[in-house]
Formats: sequence, C-alpha cells, structure tokens
Amino acid sequence: MKKSHLLKASLVMLSIILTGCSSLGVEPWERDLLAKDEMALSSAPLDAALDDHIYFSKEASSGGRSFGGGGCGCN
Amino acid sequence: MLKKPSRTIKSQPRDAGFLICFHAMASPCEVLIDTDDENHARTLGAIAAHEAWRIEDKFSRYLSHSVCGQLNANAGKRCAIDKETYLLLKFADDCYQMSAGLFDITSGILRKAWHFDGSDNIPSSAQISALLPLIGWQKTTLTETSFQMQQGMEIDLGGLGKEYAVDRSLQLINQQTDAPVLINFGGDLAANKARVIQHKAQPWQIGIDHPSFKKQQVVVSITTGAVATSGDANRFLLKNGKRYSHILNVKTGWPVDNPPSAITVAAPQCIQAGFLATLALLQGEHAESFLHAQGIKYWAIR
Amino acid sequence: MQLKQSTQLKSLLTTATCALLGSTTTQANELENWQFDTALMVYSEVDRVSAAEAIIAGERTYDNDQVLNLKLTLDALTGASANGAVAQPHVQTFTRPSGKGQYQADANTTPLDDTFKDTRVQLTGQWTQPLSDGYTWSVGGNFSKEFDYMSLSGNTNIAKDFNKKNTTVSAGIALAFDQIKPKGGIPDPLTPMIISDLISGYDDEGEDDDDGINPSSIASSDNKTTVDLLFGVTQVINRRMLVQMNYSFSQVDGYMTDPYKILSVLDINGISQEYRYEKRPDSRQKHAFYLQTKYHFEHSIIDASYRFMTDDWGINSHTVDLRYRIMLAGDHYIEPHLRFYKQAAADFYQPFLNQGTALPEFASADYRIGEMDTYTLGIKYGMPMKSGQKLAFRVEYYNQAPKNAGFTQPGVLAEQQIYESIDAIIAQVSYSF
Repeated sequence: MKKSHLLKASLVMLSIILTGCSSLGVEPWERDLLAKDEMALSSAPLDAALDDHIYFSKEASSGGRSFGGGGCGCN
Repeated sequence: MLKKPSRTIKSQPRDAGFLICFHAMASPCEVLIDTDDENHARTLGAIAAHEAWRIEDKFSRYLSHSVCGQLNANAGKRCAIDKETYLLLKFADDCYQMSAGLFDITSGILRKAWHFDGSDNIPSSAQISALLPLIGWQKTTLTETSFQMQQGMEIDLGGLGKEYAVDRSLQLINQQTDAPVLINFGGDLAANKARVIQHKAQPWQIGIDHPSFKKQQVVVSITTGAVATSGDANRFLLKNGKRYSHILNVKTGWPVDNPPSAITVAAPQCIQAGFLATLALLQGEHAESFLHAQGIKYWAIR
Repeated sequence: MQLKQSTQLKSLLTTATCALLGSTTTQANELENWQFDTALMVYSEVDRVSAAEAIIAGERTYDNDQVLNLKLTLDALTGASANGAVAQPHVQTFTRPSGKGQYQADANTTPLDDTFKDTRVQLTGQWTQPLSDGYTWSVGGNFSKEFDYMSLSGNTNIAKDFNKKNTTVSAGIALAFDQIKPKGGIPDPLTPMIISDLISGYDDEGEDDDDGINPSSIASSDNKTTVDLLFGVTQVINRRMLVQMNYSFSQVDGYMTDPYKILSVLDINGISQEYRYEKRPDSRQKHAFYLQTKYHFEHSIIDASYRFMTDDWGINSHTVDLRYRIMLAGDHYIEPHLRFYKQAAADFYQPFLNQGTALPEFASADYRIGEMDTYTLGIKYGMPMKSGQKLAFRVEYYNQAPKNAGFTQPGVLAEQQIYESIDAIIAQVSYSF
C-alpha cells in the first residue's frame, strides 16, 4: 500500500518538524532578510497564478502549493 | 579608553508597566513598556537593545571594523556600501542640502584642532586652515552602492546614529506590539502612543536629565512622536573672557557665536528632531528665533 | 546660500526621513490606498494554441492588518488543439463539436481541432484578518465564466503562529462547483462520432459559431464538485532560510470527461475505422505533497520546490521548480527559472482503441493524461521605477514531450508520430504600482 506508507512517512516528518522547531528560528530583530518581499514564499503571486493556469491546463497535476487551481474548463 | 560597558539588559516593574535598561552608544538607554506581561516587555526591550547595539557596531567611528571605520580607513578609494548605509548617507546628504552646507558629517575632523576641555587652548588659524580642505560633503561621491571621499577625509555619523537607533527600534517594536512604548536612548526619545492610566489617555512625561544640566531639567510631555537634544554645556573653551562653544561652523572652522547650551526639539521622528536641534545650535544666537520661525516646538537652555 | 524656507524645510525633512525609515511617517496615508499588481502574458505554442491573459490584482491593508485582495483575470484562447485521434497516412475528416460542419487533418499529421476560441473572465476575492493569540483567518471566493464553462468556489483558511512567529501551521478547505455546457452538448461517451456528408459540406472557415446540436449529444450540460483540503507548516530555519511543507487532498466528483476529445478506433493494420468520444471516471481523488524552501545568500535568493502528486486515476507526478534571483545594483534583479515535470499515464489512458475488442469502461487518448515529461526554461528581469513602481519582464520556453507508456503501434501506425512534442513560448510583463 504505497499511499498509506507515504501518509505515514509524512506524518512522521511533520511531527519531527513540529517538535524540532522550538530550537529553530530567529529572534524578531534577526528578521531583516526574512522580512524582504522577495523572501516571501509566494513573492510573485501573479507569476504563480499564471503558471498554475498554464500547467493546470497542459498537465494532469494541480495543487500542492495552494488550492488546486481549477475554475477553468481547460482540463 | 574606557572599558566598554557589558551588554546586559535589566528589567524592573515601573508604574503602569516595565522599565528595560541597557547601555549603548555611550549612553544609558531605557525602554518603557506599559504592559502586564513581563516576558513581552523583556522581548520588546531586547529588540530595542539589539537594534541599538547593531547600529552602534555598524556605524560607530570608534570601531575600526564598523562601516564608518572602514570608510574612513579607505578614504580616497571607492568603497562598496550596503543599502542601509546608503540610506543613512543619503539622509546626511539631504541634511547637508537642507542646511545649506552647515550640517556636514565630514566636519568631525576639526576635532584634531579643537579640544573642548574647558581650557584656553585655542588652535591657531594655520592649524584650522590646514584641516579645512579635508572638510566638505560636496567633495564626496555617493551612489546607491558605493561611497567615495578624498584621501584624509573622515565621516562621523555620531550626530545621527543615536536618533536613528531610536526610530528603528520603535519601528521594530511596533511590529510586535500594540502596547504603549517609550524609547529613551540617552535623552533622545520617541513614543508610539499615549499611555492609558486608570482608563485615561495620558502623555508620557519625561525629565531629560542631561548630566551637564544638573540645575535645569527639561521636562517634556509627548503622546506620540520624538524629542532630541543637542548641546553639551561642559564642552567649551575660555580665553580672554570669551567663551568658545563646541558648535563649529564648518565653513570657517571656528565656533559659532553664542549658541544655547542645549536645545531640545520635538518632531514626528527622532532623527528629524536631532537634525533640527543641531541645525538650531548652528544658528548661534539666532537658534531660538530660527526654530520659532520654522514653527517647531523646542526647549532651549542658555 | 540661504537656508530653506520654513514650510519647505519641514516637507524636505519629512521626505528625507521617509527615504531613511521607510514609509513610517506616511504609513497612515499609504495604508489607506490600494496596491496594484498587473501582468500581461502571452502563451504561444508552435502551430497550436495561443493564449493571452491579463490580470489586475489590488490589495488593500486596513487598520489591524486586515487585508482585502481582489483580482480580475481576463484571458483569450485561439488556435488548434489535438483532438485525441492519431495521425494516419491519409486525410481524416471530423465533425465539429457543434455537429454542424467538418474539419480535416492532412495525411501524416496529428489531427488538430481548430475550433478552439474562448474567452474567460475570472473574479477572485480574499479577506484575511488576524485574530487573537497568533491566529490568522482568511475567507475568499472565486467566480469564473467562459463560453462553455462556469466555476464558482469558496474557501476558508486558518493559520496559527507559534514560537515567536517562527512556525506557522495552517489548515484550509475549498469547495467548488463547476458547470460545463459544451458546444453541441455533452456527447454520448464511447459512441462513434457521426460523420455524415449529409450534415453539411467541408467547412474551411475554421469556426464553429452555430449553436447546433451534435447528433451524439445526450445532454446540454453537466457539472462537477470539488472539495480541497490543504494543510501546511511553515518554519523559519535561521536568518537566511525558511521551509514550507504542504499536504493537499482533493476529491472531485462529476463530469471530468473532455467533451471535445475522441479516440481513433484502429483495425489490425493500424487504419482508422471510426472515432469514439472519450470517457473518464466521474470521481477522482488526488493527494499532493509539496515542499518549498527559500535561502537568502549574500546577494541572491534561491527558491526551490518539489511536489509529488498521486491520484486514484493512476497518475503519479513529480515537479521540481527552481528560481534563482540574483540581485543587481539599484534593486534590479535577474531570475533564471527551471522547471521539470514528469507524469505517469492514467490507468485508462490509451492512444487509440482497437477494432474488434470489447470497449473499456473508460478511455481517453488525451496526451495530457498520458505519460509525459515537460520542462521549462525561463528568465525574468525586474527593476524598480522612479516612485516605487516595479516593472518586470519574463520569457520562458516550455517543452512537452509525451511518451509511449508501452503501447505497440499496429500496421501503418508504426510509421506515424503519435507522441508529438510541443514547444511553447511564454512572454510576460508585470507592473506593480
């Protein structure tokens, strides 16, 4: 059962990250780089929206980064 | 050299909140936070302290590894600068333009001739004339990524650094809290909002205790905005009955006549207040009328 | 030299301070205003589809950090698209989706339906607001309409910050209702395309404007519903690095067949005997695992992501996306982009049907659900404008290479290219003000 293995592995990873995270991170005054617009996870939302539309209509996959696209009859 | 004070942060309860104390930029520094949550207050105080220390380390001319130290050591060469340094130098450039050349961060080199130790040790005209060619912001070249001045020149951001640290610290703190906060770095201060005491909005009342004005304490009252003070009554020379102030005219290299001992100015941002206070002192005996004409709130000590 | 006049000095000082400390002094005013991002993109495949898409997005931040996002998207599509039939050594004739008129494919070429011409309008709105205790809540809606399609969706999301905002955990749900009203109606799946010389002659205008009813139609419209769940963790690693991990689940029920796609039915010699409309299952469950990281070097930022998607149609896919932003003088930047994508074929994908064998329950020859590798190579150049606006240009090359998932090509088909690769160019201009 490939899928349940994957699910299990990701849950384990998630718990490692959640318990390990208290030692990670920065103090508020160390956010000089992270605070930049270009360090945002989606720093170019329109590029991402256009790309999502292209790849949603040309490939069989969607989702992951955000909600799974859609809203068009292209696929 | 004095031993550098250790970088520790102390916190103590104080009327409506907490007082965080530390030492930075050769001054006692305080952050007052109106909150019940001591941990929150400590976090905010630490933000201010780390920002003050960061700016001190980056821009102090006394530190050879600071940006300022490096620019001075490499005078004559074109030096790469980061964005923050550019913005600060650009602000100094704006100050130079606004003051018609009176406010000049390259003028610190006059300290080589003038030692304001209360003595009668007036430098000779020759000593000053020798230094004048090394002064002049217009001889520097500033771009967004580089800075170049002539060999032998020096810059000193001491006149802006502490005020800049106050503004930056308050900015960082405002990102983390809604609580009323007052920052006071050695008499340069800024507040984000009125404090609430017994359900009433109250201004912050601060006595500015400059060590040199023991008898005349300036008490200012602000809700938001900033206050900065310029002047030092202990720094002067006295010869043949004439008092020489430590406020130097960069164009002549000589002290301006009869400035107030100190001026405290209110402005929205601390760095604005600091610049206006210095600019007022540079007007000498016209300091008060200058500020009055500009419609700026001030407190002068003569 | 004269000292500046009083009013001038104050305003000069305000301007100078703004430059130094950011917008603090004018924050109150700026926050009242909208921030707009716009983009215009052209997508063009060699000999096939061309599309133009324009977006204007506005963001307004209110007091207390509430944010309203509104977005309007317009796009137009023209050109020809593969209809699913395989190339043949002879000219092939197909009925247009309306049932009126016909189009032809030359010998030895992939049959393309040149009917495609569509425009789409999409409106999106999202409201985000902080709650107490580090929670942020968001709610949004989306409406999209094109000639033959309508989509309506809503979503809500909750996020919580922990550990000095270094860790953010979020969960969201989105529901969508889509309705398709294809030209000519919904064709009866897996039944032969009726090609009658009596309907009309060969129509060479490449258009299909009549609201005719395809004789194969069994309904005028159909619909589907989608439920999406999204769970995410974002973690700041250090001053330079952050990581995001998402899991998303999607359940789609309803009509997912492409009404315009057909399959060739071949005899043992590989000669096409007829064409049948495709049929896909009416349920699909997708799982996607997404990992993204950003790292800030001294003068550059790397943005890397990987996605694994798997679904109960048997499609597994891997996507790797890399962007490397190099900061240049004066806040200009250049950003190369690389994307690799690999997918396995859906269980019911087959490039053609065989005459004389029983019809499968589901079948589609749409290359987009077949085995395929794609890659994208791109570059973006961005620069600030005089008063804070931003301008950026992007050019990308996109290649799709469908693969044979293990099907043997009988008779004459062995000579035909049925997994034709597709090249496309993407060009985009973005402007923010």
